[in-house]
Amino acid sequence: MPRIDGYERVSGTAVFPLDVILPNMLYGAILRCPHAHATVKAVDTAKAREMPGVHAVLTDADPEAQIGWFSRPGSAGSGSPALSRLFDPHCRFEGEEVAAVAADSPQQAWDAVRAIRVEYEVLPFVSDMEAALKPGAPDVQEGGNRMGNPRETKRGDVEKGFAEADVVLEETYRTSCDIHTCVEAHGSVVQWDGDRLTVWDTNQGPFPIQAALAGALRMPLSKVRVISSYMGGGFGSKLNLGKYSVIAALMARKAARPVKLFLTREETFLAVGNRPAHIMKLKAGVKKDGTLTALQLTGVGEMGAYPAATAVGYQVGDLYKCPNVRIEETMAYINAGPNRAFRAPGFPQCSWALEQMMDALAEKIGMDPVDLRLKNISTVCQMDNNKPYTSTGLRECLSEGARAFNWKESRSRPKGEGPWVRGVGVAGGMWGSQNGPPATVIVKLYADGSANLNMGAADLGTGTKTVMAMIVAEELGVPMDRIQVENADTGNTQFTSQSGGSKTVYVDSPAVRAAALEVKSSLLDMAAAQLKVPAADLNFKDGEILAETGTQRLALRDLRQLQMQQAVVGVAVRGPVQSDKVVRPFVTHFAEVEVNTRTGEVRVVRMLAAHDSGRVMNLLTYRNQVFGGFIMGLGLATMERRILDPVTGKMANANWHDYKIPTAKDVPAQMTVLPIDLHDTECNTTGTKGIGEPAMIPSAAAIANAFYHATGVRITAAPITPSQVLTLLAERKTKG
Amino acid sequence: MSAKFSYQRAVSIKDAAEATGRPGTRILAGGTDLLGCLRDGVFQTNRLVSINNIKELKGIRSRPGGGWRIGALTTLTEVAEHRQILESYPVLAQAAASVATPQLRNQGTLGGNLCQRPRCWYFRGQFQCRRKGGETCFAEAGQSLYHGIFGASQCYIVHPSDTAPALVALDAKVSIAGRRGTRLVPMSSFFVLPKDSLVKENVLEPGELITEILLDAPLTGTRSTYRKVRERASFDFALASAAVVLVMAEGKVRTARIVLGGVAPAPWRSTEAEKAVVGKPLDAAAVAAAAEAAVKGAVPMADNGYKVPLVRGILEETLTALSA
Repeated sequence: MPRIDGYERVSGTAVFPLDVILPNMLYGAILRCPHAHATVKAVDTAKAREMPGVHAVLTDADPEAQIGWFSRPGSAGSGSPALSRLFDPHCRFEGEEVAAVAADSPQQAWDAVRAIRVEYEVLPFVSDMEAALKPGAPDVQEGGNRMGNPRETKRGDVEKGFAEADVVLEETYRTSCDIHTCVEAHGSVVQWDGDRLTVWDTNQGPFPIQAALAGALRMPLSKVRVISSYMGGGFGSKLNLGKYSVIAALMARKAARPVKLFLTREETFLAVGNRPAHIMKLKAGVKKDGTLTALQLTGVGEMGAYPAATAVGYQVGDLYKCPNVRIEETMAYINAGPNRAFRAPGFPQCSWALEQMMDALAEKIGMDPVDLRLKNISTVCQMDNNKPYTSTGLRECLSEGARAFNWKESRSRPKGEGPWVRGVGVAGGMWGSQNGPPATVIVKLYADGSANLNMGAADLGTGTKTVMAMIVAEELGVPMDRIQVENADTGNTQFTSQSGGSKTVYVDSPAVRAAALEVKSSLLDMAAAQLKVPAADLNFKDGEILAETGTQRLALRDLRQLQMQQAVVGVAVRGPVQSDKVVRPFVTHFAEVEVNTRTGEVRVVRMLAAHDSGRVMNLLTYRNQVFGGFIMGLGLATMERRILDPVTGKMANANWHDYKIPTAKDVPAQMTVLPIDLHDTECNTTGTKGIGEPAMIPSAAAIANAFYHATGVRITAAPITPSQVLTLLAERKTKG
Repeated sequence: MSAKFSYQRAVSIKDAAEATGRPGTRILAGGTDLLGCLRDGVFQTNRLVSINNIKELKGIRSRPGGGWRIGALTTLTEVAEHRQILESYPVLAQAAASVATPQLRNQGTLGGNLCQRPRCWYFRGQFQCRRKGGETCFAEAGQSLYHGIFGASQCYIVHPSDTAPALVALDAKVSIAGRRGTRLVPMSSFFVLPKDSLVKENVLEPGELITEILLDAPLTGTRSTYRKVRERASFDFALASAAVVLVMAEGKVRTARIVLGGVAPAPWRSTEAEKAVVGKPLDAAAVAAAAEAAVKGAVPMADNGYKVPLVRGILEETLTALSA
């Protein structure tokens, strides 16, 4: 099913927050700390204030800027102390906000920002998580660079498990810090109308932004309207309120003019989140027959300068059946931008370690990597008291995926004489789906049989609006082109939480179905009254009311009550999700790579993704999600990494050229999506489990395993770049 | 950016030379590098002189007596797709085709490609490095992943151009117009190393601009190729590249020009590698000897040691391909 807003998106008529231009609007720009760690001693804005076109300058000296900032903005009032403030003089990372300007043009705003004189006291910094945890490292936060106590998860007795194993392997795996690089940069357009604030903001759901903004500005919720009906990508980095929105609102009030404040591409590399780098020491025990006996993970994550923990251990404890598990995780502060949720937080990192380890174990015991995984499938959630899953498609993902990928044959095909060698790899995965608070949805059927779907959820480009409209079409028989969707506007849609955690369809679609059913039921009640038959004997189909007996028909135009009130409205709140079972999407990715042993070039030439995400709602957008996820995983595996200069702590590659994401030419020529369309009747009323994040969880690991198969060299640190490949191949040559 | 700023369209080469002689002036051709540099504050200007209206600077024409002249304003796409260039100078067509992306090749010019500034992330970023008049080369103790292994002194940039190694390998000449007339400079003398200047990458003086590139007719038995290795398949500069032009006669290499890109502050001609193949059949032993000779004298930094095996690998591949 084509996207319901495909024309708007392709033709450019869709208005994204970045497109919004208001009469008399000013442009904002933020002065950011250029040092990895510094204290602001003095800010002189005298010259900037005199510059042409400047209408507002905001610094820490302004009383209204004394706004506390929290690790999850919006948790203000929860009792936890603020971590910093809007323009905190203690800048703990390169890119922290120091001052801001609003001017008639963006150029004038930037000229004025550059004219602000700041006196910094540059402080010692630490930009490496291992160095940060050593004694004597500069403190990023008071009380040291270790966030709280290590998180520990234990099951069984790992020492006993290792003793029972025939093979025990231990390896340290590393992933890099990666940046979201959303196509639409972060930012807002704000407008005051008396005491009412309207904000066009690019985010993953306007309601938490509304709440956080109201909290920061001490305003009633009713006076803050946030609109994000279109947005250009978030991947987790746009779940929370950004300082830029608050800064824009304060400057707009100061200047009595609307303000547009969007970050530059370079700013988005520094200050709006990342997937933190991880070091994962993994020890695993397996019996000769492939039974896992113990898994032990010791993980350290690089948090950035403020608390934002990302745990990586979940799949170690849950993906494969294993009686003895120990997971210990630590997060370290460093002087760099804090991490944020990034497409399946923690899971691609974990897969990078766990799935490469599974590959190594399989080789050691002489077992096929697919078979080793099939041997250890669990039907219960070991991380949640062995509650059963509503459905477990991992077995089908592995076996049907292997068949469709032609795994056995591909695995035994000659690898080539060189310089190009080839190999194939596999990796499994799961996603820890999340619940959300209940969503409220309104469905309206008009007198002419067309319908309006009113929902709070943001569509991140994933096709949410289309999928939800399809549910209305399914229940009410209204053609797709007669359904209009209003969404993601706190002013005229109802509460739902952010689109994140692959939960939007999973959590919100049952409410859409329920609202549509309510419309149907009201309609039948009206018809029953008119026809004087019991409502239970009536059905609504193809725009007509039919009696069970088939003798009576009633077109909507003849339904008197409907024609009088012009619309029937159904309102539904999603009911509680059952808790005696656990909902988890499963996935297996297969990849084929070619490696040039002379030049270190790596090409991913073929991939297949088998997914159990419950019912496939819309194959078109489902496949797009998987392609996008795999390509993002390809970036993690082969090219993406934040590089911090060791001498200054500044980011060396804070731009879209030096920070490399895959281009169309890096995408494999052959990409196949294989939905394992299991009927899960228990997860919710639409049978859906979520696809957005599972789509990238095992991709990088599958590529790494294919690389190993091709070369016999295990790359434990992402990304697999020519520089690393050549270095490791040369090492192998000298070591023999 | 300076508050006073002017933009001028030059109507002739003479006009352009006059205008660009004044301090603080920059020439605008395709603008794909210049505008980025200005936006990022790599350098400033108070006067842009566009040469885009000068017709004589455009197009590819044959030279009387053989060979071709390529106007400085010719786009990279035109160079990459021109039939005669593809036939007679594959090394140049391939180099032009490997630049950046289709959009950038449609906009970027051959002259601009030769004059682009280095991509060193310290030079491009907020670092007051030596090439920007500062005291420090940040790459020395910093992140040197993409820096040079040859020809460095106080500055470790690599020359970013793909077409430059190809043109040096073709022994092309560059025609330079100035206020006092024109001069013809061999491509191999056009670029300057940090030991000669820390602030510029070529011999152009203020008031000078490239007008055209001159190519001689290829000798019988000429084979050429350009090979570029990068971290992603498009929109990326070379980790290392090689432009190789060989003239074969009676099964042996008569002359060879082997020029490396992405490894030195200027296109890096490896006469050692050339010597290893000249006068010999291009067999596996000669190829291996040339590949080894090319990396002699390399001085890797902390993070770019991989460029040594990479150069070796690229030359093995290109020379083997040309032997067939």
